Amino acid sequence: MRYPKSGPLAILVLLTVCPSLGGEVTGGSRQAPEIDARKIIDRIDRLLRGDSSIGTMEMSVVTSRWRRDMTLALWSEGTDKVLVKVLAPKKEAGTATLKSGSDIWNYLPKIDRTIRIPTSMMMASWMGSHYTNDDLVKESRLVRDYDIKLSFDGVRDGQEIYEFTLTPLPRAPVVWGRIITEVRQKDLMPLQSKYYAEDGRLKRTLAFSRFREMGGRLVPAVMHMTPEDKPGEYTEIRYTELKFDVPLPPDTFSLAALRK
Amino acid sequence: MSALWIALRLGWRNLWRNPRRSLITLAAIAAAYAFLIGMIGLMEGLKNQLLRNGTRLQLGDFQIHESTYLPDRNINDTIGADEGVDLQAVLARISTQPEVEGLSARVYGFGLLSTGSFSSGAQLLGVDPAAELFVTTLLRGLRPGSSLPAGGARGLILGQALAEEIHARPGAEVAVVTQSADGTLGNDLFHVVGILRTGLSYQDRSLAVTHRSDLQELLALAPGRVHEVAGRIRDPLRADRVCALLNGSGLLPPHTKAQSWGELSPQLRDYVKLSESTNGLMIFLVALFAAFGVLNTTMMAVFERTREIGMLGSLGMRPALILLTILLESLFLGLLGLAGGFGIGALIMSYLATHGWDLSRWVGEVSMLGTRMDPILKGAWSWGQVGWAAGGLIAATLLAAFLPARRVAWMQPVAALAAPTEG
Repeated sequence: MRYPKSGPLAILVLLTVCPSLGGEVTGGSRQAPEIDARKIIDRIDRLLRGDSSIGTMEMSVVTSRWRRDMTLALWSEGTDKVLVKVLAPKKEAGTATLKSGSDIWNYLPKIDRTIRIPTSMMMASWMGSHYTNDDLVKESRLVRDYDIKLSFDGVRDGQEIYEFTLTPLPRAPVVWGRIITEVRQKDLMPLQSKYYAEDGRLKRTLAFSRFREMGGRLVPAVMHMTPEDKPGEYTEIRYTELKFDVPLPPDTFSLAALRK
Repeated sequence: MSALWIALRLGWRNLWRNPRRSLITLAAIAAAYAFLIGMIGLMEGLKNQLLRNGTRLQLGDFQIHESTYLPDRNINDTIGADEGVDLQAVLARISTQPEVEGLSARVYGFGLLSTGSFSSGAQLLGVDPAAELFVTTLLRGLRPGSSLPAGGARGLILGQALAEEIHARPGAEVAVVTQSADGTLGNDLFHVVGILRTGLSYQDRSLAVTHRSDLQELLALAPGRVHEVAGRIRDPLRADRVCALLNGSGLLPPHTKAQSWGELSPQLRDYVKLSESTNGLMIFLVALFAAFGVLNTTMMAVFERTREIGMLGSLGMRPALILLTILLESLFLGLLGLAGGFGIGALIMSYLATHGWDLSRWVGEVSMLGTRMDPILKGAWSWGQVGWAAGGLIAATLLAAFLPARRVAWMQPVAALAAPTEG
């Protein structure tokens, strides 16, 4: 069994899609022998693996008070290196986030300063979105930290799906009490993941849509995150461009590059 | 000449027939009263100190918020909602309440403070330093020579532990990053003008104070938008009543409410109540012991004079008049003793009120329930309790005279005359 190496999709995909797909990786096959877990693993692994990626995306953050639309450029390499830069709106253009290992650095062009995000701020919002800084840095460890079971296999809402239920293993250092992920059977694309707190309450729902080919792969181009405790609010990410396995200059993920 | 006048004159004259004995009793009463005054003063001082420490550091005696602001402290829940208010007009209206001594409008935020590699989350507090000084002592804990500059200068005062954590000294430049009210990433450079040492570890670790207008700019809040108005009133114990008046007055903007320190910090209220009742018990016990001391001295004084009383009886003085004479004598004694005790007590209190009692040798620096305890305990007058103590001592003196006097006054003069002579 292998870790899903987080992949070519951008920063947030690394942390969200990939774990949820990773969820399919183990588990389920013993209940439904016709599903070859290994095959699914390989498929997903191939889907998400890329030594590097470049892309652009639009992020919309909608709260009860305001809406922000941003255009972001992103670069990633392996599992632990990600660079995101704001292209628009103009006021915030140049603002950038660098993830390197377990560190996050932010660059703020207005004051021309680079700031390391301390551990105590990991649960704070990333760029005003409903994602936290922690969502950016945490590794995809679902396979290692969760027991994964196939909990549904059949037709739901008009399409054949697999539903996997992930429950954390004892002593696993995770924040969720349970994750339920739906994957459509025809192409093993993720449909949605529901994240539950330890007390069983639904905390957030991540929905995937607009499956299309980008950079030669089928990927969900839209990720829609809805926090349960803030009705009417969401963060939506739409990939507009993705390229995989592009050679990146060695200093792409340096603090100097962050400021450029 | 009425019997009462005779009793009064006799009582007064008897008082000075044996000056040594009277002075001893008088001294006992005076000492007990002076001691009680000091004791009551310290207890009252302790309560006041607790209350002052709890309210004067940051809380204030009352606070006004948009009704939805607490407990979440959402950045958008400013007084007067999104439109904000004409702040000066609102403050001026609240100031018309006679008990209000100071008002400070505040803005709060949560942000990331960074000097580059060293960063920490902090509670951002924006105040008008001049107004804040009338409400709390928050900015008085500054190192000498440092003060918050006017708005626009982006001066920043950091809690001591926070400053150490991000390696910022006065003069250092600190980047402050926060989520603004409009959703954007508010960020700006501030420079450290002072280090704050409140004595409360939580505050020292998390508080960053700046000028209100600078914080409003950082948070993208209009100048009329504030989260809190903290106020100070003459007597913190009247905070509940002042808040009820304010809430019913129509002086506050709509959807806002004033809450007293007791509502905002129930623990502090409980603690003040607890300290009041334990103080009351302690004073009662001390007063009881003091009364027993006076009782003893007075009783001995009357017993010593059994022969003399027998003489009055054998000369035909009615027992009731004898009793009255002795009671009046005790009353004079008690009043003189209280007067003397009050004099000494006032001297003790004037020392305790100005210099206080330095407890630091025993307790060091203590913080309790989010309030800093000043190691110097200062006395404060509690006239009600001082009055009760006086009444208690007079009652003890009269009781002490009454018990033996009643027995002796109705004694057979012969038996009384046979009693041992005094001295």
